[in-house]
Amino acid sequence: MKYCPHCQVNVKGEWAKCPLCQQSLAATETLENVPSPYPDIPLRFSKKKAFKWLTLSSLLIIVGFFVGGFFFPSPMSVWQMSLFGIISLWLVVLIIIRKRRNIAKGIVYLIVFSSLICFYLDYLAGWNAWSTTYAIPIICSFATVAMFFAVRIVRLKVGDYILYLLTATLLGFLPTTFLFFNWTTWPFPSQLSLLLSTMMFIWIIINHGKDILSELQKRAQI
Amino acid sequence: MQTKTNNQRGWVRLDNASNIFLAAMSTTDTKVFRLSAEMQNEVDPVILQQALEKTYAQYMLYHSVLRRGIFWYYLQYSDIKPQVTRDVLPPCSQLYHFDQSELLFRVIYNHHRVHLEVFHVLSDGTGALWFFEDLLKEYILLRHPEALEDITNEQRQIEQRHLEDSFVTYFRQGEQQNFTESAQSALRKFAKSSKRAAFEYGRKAKRFVWTTKRKKRQKRKVHRIVGKKTADNRTKVIELEMPVREVLNLAHEQDATLTMYLIALYFEAIREASPTFQTGETIAISVPVNLRQFYPSNSERNFFSTVKLKYTYPQEKEVDVKKICDTLTKQMQHQLTKENLEKRLSRLISFEYNPFNRLVPRPIKDGILKIVNYFNNRNLTVAMSNLGRVSFPTFLESYVDTLYFHTSAVRPQFCVISHGDKLSISFTSPYLETAIQESFVRKLTQAGVEVTVAANKVTTSELRGEEE
Repeated sequence: MKYCPHCQVNVKGEWAKCPLCQQSLAATETLENVPSPYPDIPLRFSKKKAFKWLTLSSLLIIVGFFVGGFFFPSPMSVWQMSLFGIISLWLVVLIIIRKRRNIAKGIVYLIVFSSLICFYLDYLAGWNAWSTTYAIPIICSFATVAMFFAVRIVRLKVGDYILYLLTATLLGFLPTTFLFFNWTTWPFPSQLSLLLSTMMFIWIIINHGKDILSELQKRAQI
Repeated sequence: MQTKTNNQRGWVRLDNASNIFLAAMSTTDTKVFRLSAEMQNEVDPVILQQALEKTYAQYMLYHSVLRRGIFWYYLQYSDIKPQVTRDVLPPCSQLYHFDQSELLFRVIYNHHRVHLEVFHVLSDGTGALWFFEDLLKEYILLRHPEALEDITNEQRQIEQRHLEDSFVTYFRQGEQQNFTESAQSALRKFAKSSKRAAFEYGRKAKRFVWTTKRKKRQKRKVHRIVGKKTADNRTKVIELEMPVREVLNLAHEQDATLTMYLIALYFEAIREASPTFQTGETIAISVPVNLRQFYPSNSERNFFSTVKLKYTYPQEKEVDVKKICDTLTKQMQHQLTKENLEKRLSRLISFEYNPFNRLVPRPIKDGILKIVNYFNNRNLTVAMSNLGRVSFPTFLESYVDTLYFHTSAVRPQFCVISHGDKLSISFTSPYLETAIQESFVRKLTQAGVEVTVAANKVTTSELRGEEE
């Protein structure tokens, strides 16, 4: 075992310096070498590094939009677009990290987030209704289908994903309100979303109605 | 009727008292604690697995996974089989992840050591120690069947009786076989068995809350330790082991118990080594008190209360360890009088039965508890926990060398446990700095105590073995 003459302690394991006072250790001959009870475990991640890369990417986004804006003028200001880029970058990273353990939940969060951001972008760019005509209905329709397959690929338990699949399906009915309020320029994507969601809804109720009830009972107990 | 249906469902609503751990949980402070045993021989993972399976079958509570509902968290029975693993994660790594159903404990081995890590929502130190002791007993009996041969018949009977008297055996043969019963909150169980109406507790508690509110006027600045956090939020562990006798003698010289003496030393270490400390500031420590020693309970769930001890360093006077010990002992005695304990328990129980809690959705409750926790933390400098002396039946005693105990930490803290003639003190901290620990150790070594140190590596340069 090594010995720290400053702290007067024996030190287990391979240390170049005293883990307490950071000064050099002396070798002892009387005591046999004892391995450290704490194995060397590499750092899992470094908060500093992740933060550095995300910040750097954010700066690149700003530069990119400025250069792009110079060649291709747009109705939105460069700052607004950069802000959207940066918000998307950070939020998507955050959603993926926070919800990495339940893919179904992650998909629901991404549907809501991307729909909202499309809607707001459309509004800022002078409202062409492209978000309500194309973007949101298409995101809603196919995200549900994607989830249907994804939960099978990663083998999630029914109880763990069924409520999120239901939520995604119900979100798929949202574009129907766009038709109702006449917010679309072409009805097909919203109709498709309605059709797919209805089919999925019927499938869920028939196959997993009981699971949904028992999950709701458990989760909503007062 | 309710219990019966719950039984069939296999889930139990999580008690309010345990909710605080979920609200206070973060990637830095995972609310996981670790009990470790250094065995005489290299650990055999296959036998450890067998021992784990045997023990697991007897402790229904450990079958729980934690789920989130709209109003509550709940513990749900699961059929996941626990697996012993090598020590490949930093100590006290997160056990509960919001969207995953996983067991709330893990058993790890490394060379001569067996570790049990437990999520605090499941159980407290004492409860987990029962599981750990049984796990080690099973392991030793499987690994060294000769342990039983060595003893005479007469001794065996005595040992048998000793085993039967223990708490562990008591609940093992009793009602604890049932998941719903063993996952039930210790407070609810206690309140029910003592046949006092929750209503009465509520009334008492209200009075208590009012009186303390009025009393609390004087504000003293509580010192808080700041430092540089580790890169991946892992806990920095510094583990000391020393002969228990020598430290006990030092404590007795100051007319103090071991716990009080160690806290006083720690306060002095903070005063000396915390760079921002100024005289006139108060150092406050939170100490958990095991309620089972005052109110008989066989529950493995959390059943403790915390006591806050404070010492304000006077501006002009000289301070010595003895003075701090005396002040702390007085505070501790005052807080543990029968009357004060009753108040404490009443408050805990009334919180458990508060009808308002039932109607508030979980995310809001979490938010409120987070705020409460934040303000509690602001008035604390450090924390400590002492599990006391652990002993095994004599024929098993020689197979276990030293026991260790530490927890994840949001602020610097230390944990104490002893076995045989060895005392282990483990410091944990979210920070890289070790000046306080160094100062604490030097006080002990200067008093002539022989100390051995072990630590985990937390920086890239330490891991590479570089000289900075």
